[in-house]
Amino acid sequence: MRYLALPLLSQNLTESTARAQTLSLYLQLSLQVSLSQRNESTMSSSSSSLPSCPKKVVTLKSSEGETFEIEEIAALQSKTLENMIDENCADTPIPLPNIKGKILAKVVEYCNKHAEVGVDAESLRAWDAEFVNVENTTVFDYILAANFLEIPTLLDLTCQSVADMIKGKTPAEIEKTFNIKSAFTPEEEEQVRRENQWAFE
Amino acid sequence: MYMNEPCSTTNPIKNLHKFAMKTDTERAAQDEGPPPPPPPLFGDILELTLTRVPLVDLVSASQVSRSWKRAVSSSLRHLNPIRPWLLVHSQSTRTPYAISTRAFDPRSSVWLDISLPQPAKHASTLRSSSSSNLLFILSPSKLSFSSDPLHLTWRHAAPPLVWRADPIVALVGHRLVVAGGAFDFDDDPLAVETYDLRAGAWEACGSTMPALLKDSSASAWLSVTADEDKMYVTDKLSGVTHSYDPEADAWHGPYDLRPHRDVYCCVIGFASGRLILVGLLGCEENVKGVKAWEVERGTWRAREIGEMPPGMVRKMKGERFCASSMSACGAGDFVYLNRDSDPGTAVWCEVVGGGDCRWGRAESPAASGGRGPAERVVFTSSNVGMSELKQALATGDPRNVIRST
Repeated sequence: MRYLALPLLSQNLTESTARAQTLSLYLQLSLQVSLSQRNESTMSSSSSSLPSCPKKVVTLKSSEGETFEIEEIAALQSKTLENMIDENCADTPIPLPNIKGKILAKVVEYCNKHAEVGVDAESLRAWDAEFVNVENTTVFDYILAANFLEIPTLLDLTCQSVADMIKGKTPAEIEKTFNIKSAFTPEEEEQVRRENQWAFE
Repeated sequence: MYMNEPCSTTNPIKNLHKFAMKTDTERAAQDEGPPPPPPPLFGDILELTLTRVPLVDLVSASQVSRSWKRAVSSSLRHLNPIRPWLLVHSQSTRTPYAISTRAFDPRSSVWLDISLPQPAKHASTLRSSSSSNLLFILSPSKLSFSSDPLHLTWRHAAPPLVWRADPIVALVGHRLVVAGGAFDFDDDPLAVETYDLRAGAWEACGSTMPALLKDSSASAWLSVTADEDKMYVTDKLSGVTHSYDPEADAWHGPYDLRPHRDVYCCVIGFASGRLILVGLLGCEENVKGVKAWEVERGTWRAREIGEMPPGMVRKMKGERFCASSMSACGAGDFVYLNRDSDPGTAVWCEVVGGGDCRWGRAESPAASGGRGPAERVVFTSSNVGMSELKQALATGDPRNVIRST
């Protein structure tokens, strides 16, 4: 059995630090005990004293059935996914039937980028600007995805980008950009909304 | 179509998927050439997007369709309401004494250039009174004034009976009060005159104006504000305040409103129905702080409601804030603190809730913010709404009337 490194307990430690150190010590102890129980004959000579915890991954399924994996820490940016993870519903693939595969891929990319540590604000802003530098139709899809998944930063970014599309335009130009007279009649539009609400209650 | 298909509760998602596919194929069948149209923006997503659109662009947005019009008014009412604009009017001191106006919209933090109708060729100086957004030009031949939010309409009246330079002017209810200013003769009995907007005529008032206020140049040394009933005049350096009631033709005061001996300059304005006094602490070259007090009109006691954050005060370092160049103008819940020599910066105190306040500061884009060498600047502020903007945009080519800088 490897010797455990005992933390120095000096009188200057605060109570919480002491608790944290005690807990860490306990965890190390219990892990070592379980390890030695399993591999008594083979003593591994790895340098790390703690086994690495497997990163928790959440699987998302797009409307076409494609699956995408996203690390739990990145998924926490979505309030919807965060709630599901808290309620332990995230162990099976989560179906997202109103988000297409290529949009979902980009949204996962966004969450991964924003979950990274040590990225400076300036380069993140530049990355965000590039992210929304796409066709209007794609930006609208991003908005719907961000709204459904409740990702506040992505929603802000995309709404701002759409607001910039509205600025400085006459009503006729806005109609053209947003294709207001779409194939949906007002009744069909209503039905889609109602159907969406009912399906996800 | 999809309505007749059984929508089983065990697989609602599968059916939704079918519906999406069906309309895509339908659309594809109808028009093979162009790509399918983007999903329409509607409901709360549209409203959320509209919160980020500046007010002036919301005018076009509200004319797109009925649902967009509803979304605009809902977004303005609930999500991101209208906030009072600061209007900066610069008058050239050379003929034709043209007036150019820039505006700051705190709702979207944008600066705009506005082309407004000129009141007429005036060699006289444009002045403003912080009360009810009044802009006026006083000349020996006439008095021109405008008090609508965007100063689109000007009224012209005969000049007051006594010529005076730089008097106290305020719009109190339906009366325009003109008081003091520099006279040719001392102790003129017609020190105060009021112009009744309804009757379109001047009335001389018999009340004696406080000696303190006679012979003082209003724009430099006095801060004037008014509500529906009374006019309030504060000496910027001493904080001594008088009030005048035009209905009763009576002066009241003096009240010493200076709340703190470190305050070297006091300016007053109305926000949220309250009389707010903003004081600069320290001295002209070195402003140590800016605070706001609410003055209770019955007891004349000042209650501190807020202090400018130190970060904002630091931005004032190295600049001179002379009392003579400071002024305040208030509208809605905002009191803007203005400095003549720096028309490109908007500083405000927003009164919130039960007498607390939030401070804000915005600088206009560098190229267009400064004051030209031969220009005089005055400030007004008002609640500019959609109807005023529509009216303004109708005066000319919409793209030129209001432009963002």
